Amino acid sequence: MQRYWFGDVDDRGQCIPAPADTASLASRIASLATDMHTFVPLSVDTAIACGIANDREEYLRRLRNVCIARAEAEIALYYSQSDMELLQMVRMLDEMDTVVNLLTERATEWYIVRNPGFSRKYRAISAKKMVGIIKRDRSVSLSRIAQEIDRVSAARTALMRDVSARAEQIAPNSSALVGGLVAARLIAKAGGLGALARLPASTVQVIGAQNALFSHLRTRSPPPKHGIIFQHRRVHNAPKQRRGRVARVLAGKLVIAARLDYFRKEAVPAFIASAQERIDRAGEEP
Amino acid sequence: MIRIDGVLVSPGEGGVYGERMLGGYRVWDPYRSKLAALYQKSGGPEITPGMTVLYLGAANGTTVSHVADYAGTVYAVEYAPRPMQDLLEVARRRKNVVPILGDATAPAGYAPVVETVDLLYQDVAQPDQAGILLKNAVFLKTGGTAVLMLKTRSVDIRRDPSDIHAETVEMLVAGGFDVIDSCWLEPYHRDHAALVCTRTPPPAP
Repeated sequence: MQRYWFGDVDDRGQCIPAPADTASLASRIASLATDMHTFVPLSVDTAIACGIANDREEYLRRLRNVCIARAEAEIALYYSQSDMELLQMVRMLDEMDTVVNLLTERATEWYIVRNPGFSRKYRAISAKKMVGIIKRDRSVSLSRIAQEIDRVSAARTALMRDVSARAEQIAPNSSALVGGLVAARLIAKAGGLGALARLPASTVQVIGAQNALFSHLRTRSPPPKHGIIFQHRRVHNAPKQRRGRVARVLAGKLVIAARLDYFRKEAVPAFIASAQERIDRAGEEP
Repeated sequence: MIRIDGVLVSPGEGGVYGERMLGGYRVWDPYRSKLAALYQKSGGPEITPGMTVLYLGAANGTTVSHVADYAGTVYAVEYAPRPMQDLLEVARRRKNVVPILGDATAPAGYAPVVETVDLLYQDVAQPDQAGILLKNAVFLKTGGTAVLMLKTRSVDIRRDPSDIHAETVEMLVAGGFDVIDSCWLEPYHRDHAALVCTRTPPPAP
């Protein structure tokens, strides 16, 4: 028997039509498990004989409707995954960082040309303070640009809080170990929580250090000890000779946390406590 | 294929992706579309209103829209949801395009909706491109034509493109195809080759 989207056709050419509304035909296609070894491609004549349509034109119209409905449903399902929006948020956050830095640097250069006596040396002027100084410049365009930079920075800070909160919601275990922001960055780099949960710990340890990793593989330069997880305080606060170990232990616990997040979808306090204790110990052991 | 002063065009509603219009026809740019590059370089198979086409790797529907201008029916298969959104928009406006969200490496997923076709066109960024073509050959009518846009860099970035080309031809021949024409798509697309194949009729029993 051959099973097609419009119905089943048995060996004698007898056709059993399927329920003919678009929604049930669309879900029917997903349920058909076709064996390609015995499969015979459909012919539109058979479909018309089966009563799905009166002619080729009508057949195509109906098939198109079913296929479009099915594709729309699958796209909606794909985008409704809890981490899809988080991915875009993290990428936007990184992009905004880049933009704010670029604009600040350029505005500073411009400001220095207008104020030849100005120097940042010995004054500990942070980028943020610098934008404040530029804002008071007499050039209207320059000061308006500085105001704009301020506004983008504010939007960036708000987005960062959103990202953190969202990560804590969809990945409570990972967020408990490394904080929402680092967890979100890891998820984004892996391409989703499901992808992160399927990675080995050794990969998670060096995610975000691709350049160093491939240069190591190519030229035998020293391997990277850490990638994104360096941003977590327990890695970057550890003494240099112990950072590698902390990063390794942390990555090991992180993949377990990611799997709990993905498959169990809830915080597991017992695991978090024991993992925290183990990671702290890695930073203290001689 | 319609040409105006040597410029390849297709008849149909314009404005799909900001393409130029020429005397009421849509300009089909060989730098954007590999199929247009094939027509520019060495002819390629004529597409006529009576033909059905199975298009693997439809992406945003740019080339699909031109193929649909010429062909009778186009079954357009795309795997990724993001470009599928654009392809759906093309399909809503072009009544002879059937959009299929499916995986060309697993034809079983869309086998129940695709009829037999006159032209099998494949442009997918996958390592096993010859294998995918052979898997989908079941949909090709006897005497039909298959066009494989071979992306050698997707097969193996480290190997010489011409080695990959030779190996692919070998695999297609072993799978029962005759490669009747093959050309590199320079200068329009780098390290891309077009292979035009017909199927050898099975030996008489």
